[in-house]
Amino acid sequence: MLSNKSLLDIDSLEPGDIELILSNADSFGEISKRKVKKVPTLRGKTVFNLFFEPSTRTRTSFEIAAKRLSADIVNFSAPDSSLKKGESIIDTLRTILSMKVDLVIIRHPDSGTAVMMDRLTDIPVINAGDGKNRHPTQALLDLYTINKEFGKLKGLKAAVVGDFLDSRVARSDVALFKKMGMDVTIVSPTMFLPEDFSEIKVRHCIDDVIEDCDILYMLRMQFERQSRKFYPSVMEYKRFLGLDMDRLKRMKSGSIVMHPGPVNRGIEITDEVMDVKGKLADKIVIEKQVTSGVAIRMAILYLILG
Amino acid sequence: MDKTENRNILIKGGTIIDPAEGGVFASDIYIKDGIVTEIGKNIKAGSTAVKIDAEGLSVSPGFVDMHVHLRDPGFEDKETIESGALAAVKGGVTAAACMPNTRPAIDSEHTVKYVLEKSIDAACRVFPVAAMTRGLKGKEITEMGLLAEAGAVGFSDDGKCVGDSRLMYEIMRYSKQFGLPLILHEEDILMSGDGLMHEGRYSSMLGLEGISPLADDLMIARDIILAARSGAKIHITHLSTKSGVEMIRKAKKDGINITCDVTPHHLFFNDSFLTSFNTSLKVKPPIRSEEDRQALVGGIKEGVIDAVASDHAPHLDTEKNTTFRLAEFGTIGLETLFSASFSKLCGEEKMSLPGLIKLITASPAKILGIDAGKIEVGRLADIAVIDTGTEKTVKREDFISKSKNSAFIGQKLKGKVVCTISKGKLIYRSN
Repeated sequence: MLSNKSLLDIDSLEPGDIELILSNADSFGEISKRKVKKVPTLRGKTVFNLFFEPSTRTRTSFEIAAKRLSADIVNFSAPDSSLKKGESIIDTLRTILSMKVDLVIIRHPDSGTAVMMDRLTDIPVINAGDGKNRHPTQALLDLYTINKEFGKLKGLKAAVVGDFLDSRVARSDVALFKKMGMDVTIVSPTMFLPEDFSEIKVRHCIDDVIEDCDILYMLRMQFERQSRKFYPSVMEYKRFLGLDMDRLKRMKSGSIVMHPGPVNRGIEITDEVMDVKGKLADKIVIEKQVTSGVAIRMAILYLILG
Repeated sequence: MDKTENRNILIKGGTIIDPAEGGVFASDIYIKDGIVTEIGKNIKAGSTAVKIDAEGLSVSPGFVDMHVHLRDPGFEDKETIESGALAAVKGGVTAAACMPNTRPAIDSEHTVKYVLEKSIDAACRVFPVAAMTRGLKGKEITEMGLLAEAGAVGFSDDGKCVGDSRLMYEIMRYSKQFGLPLILHEEDILMSGDGLMHEGRYSSMLGLEGISPLADDLMIARDIILAARSGAKIHITHLSTKSGVEMIRKAKKDGINITCDVTPHHLFFNDSFLTSFNTSLKVKPPIRSEEDRQALVGGIKEGVIDAVASDHAPHLDTEKNTTFRLAEFGTIGLETLFSASFSKLCGEEKMSLPGLIKLITASPAKILGIDAGKIEVGRLADIAVIDTGTEKTVKREDFISKSKNSAFIGQKLKGKVVCTISKGKLIYRSN
């Protein structure tokens, strides 16, 4: 029911696909609020959760989504260390495909692995994050969260703050937000930006966008994904890119703060902001993103397998 | 393929290309006991001679590929001197200069002699390029004098770049004693880092680590400066950047003893092809931007670039059939050297056929100082007969190299080598 059998990136999603996913997420989101959180939609289907990289959130989110749809889900986690040269990833993938599963969800530390997997098989593949390349379900759940908060997408001003270069979340979000007519600015220091990036607005300090943006999307500072450490220090990061109480208070009414999680408390977002109470707390939608994640993944599994 | 065929050969009705003079003329060629004995019209031959009907075809000196990896000794599962030479001849190549990054490296008299001895029976002539530094480690200068005496035609640490500028300067000064070229792989390894493809729009789009053109450019600039002072004969191999073309153009104008080559894959592809994550396109230096590619084509047209060389780099399926990050760098190229270059330079860019032929015969032969790349009476015949009128999609099954990692699989290429006479024998004839 989607235009492609697999969900590998944002670029190949048709506008109709996106609409369909968002509207289905609404109805599947309802199921999670019921007393009995299970429907028989995907009974008899086997879904393989193939994670070559540590992950709790995404893996669990897919697992819950599959279980609420009554699919059988199998988890396979290969520790990072076993992915040395000499071990054939192709053979691992073939082995899993031979078990005749109905869908594979793959996460891998190398860019392009989901595409490679998709080429090996006729069954659908969902990219749950490949290296620095793409993480489409994250972008879709972010979009869904925004749509629920604002009731619209077009014209919203989104600022994506942090290490753009090493982030598959940023790549996917920016592509999807732009596709939906949002006004996107990347806030990032030079070492986290590609050299030639004329097509997107760029700022270097969070203060440049804080008062004007509708959505402040804070990226996780991913030291583990940087091939070399060029950024001077955490102190410098907090000064130019961190979200603290002062900055939170300057955000305009109705604006929201998002983060793909897990948050590095004290780096991109301070403890005070994370634990803020009262009216300002409504701005922080990070937990709502997680809730949306289950609904979006139920919708995607249904649309691909149902 | 038949290396034992030892009959006299008559090539009839072809158009001979003389790359040295740029001339083109209709003529027959008669080859007796491997030696060209007559070039002229209406040659008659005995009934026992093999006749090659070259009507409508072009007859070129056998090609000279000045940059190949034959993986022998040490990596014979990827390629051997024997299998690589057969692949060469299928591609019309009758002289190949092989790079020293073998195991052990070609950094001793012994290994130079090994290559030369093994190539006696090979389908084409093989010219060893010896290492500049022991084990290609970039620390100590090799016995360049002994290596030259043993038969090395040049020196290179190909695959690596000597980072120590003082050492590089001394290598340049010392190489002058022997008059052999230094074939330089230019890469500042701290600049290229863990890069996987050209750093630019597509690397940031795909989330693949980039290799900045600065990595090549910095070392090209350094070596031009060192060559200006030392007077050494340097050759920049597999040039990939626009800025590199510009620097070499200026260096030549300034009278520096510098030449350079480019690969067919750098002329053919740009980094937008990488969106397929095709690991056969993972090469070093990386396939660069369209702007760089056009500058390379421009560099050929205006004569800044002296040669086209394949950088034939065989790798096993297991080394390529993996994720883009884990895959080895390199593509095979001997069998597609002509058709890939012809498709781009003559097909698309309307360059003349003799212009291209010079880049893969006389010009690289001159850089290496080897006696090859010409057809003359009295010489052992090294000849490639070419059909420029064909067009065909490259398939994996087409390759006879031990490795199949060709970037050109799936591409439509124009022109083909119809038959190759190497070392005086008709070794390859297509069906």
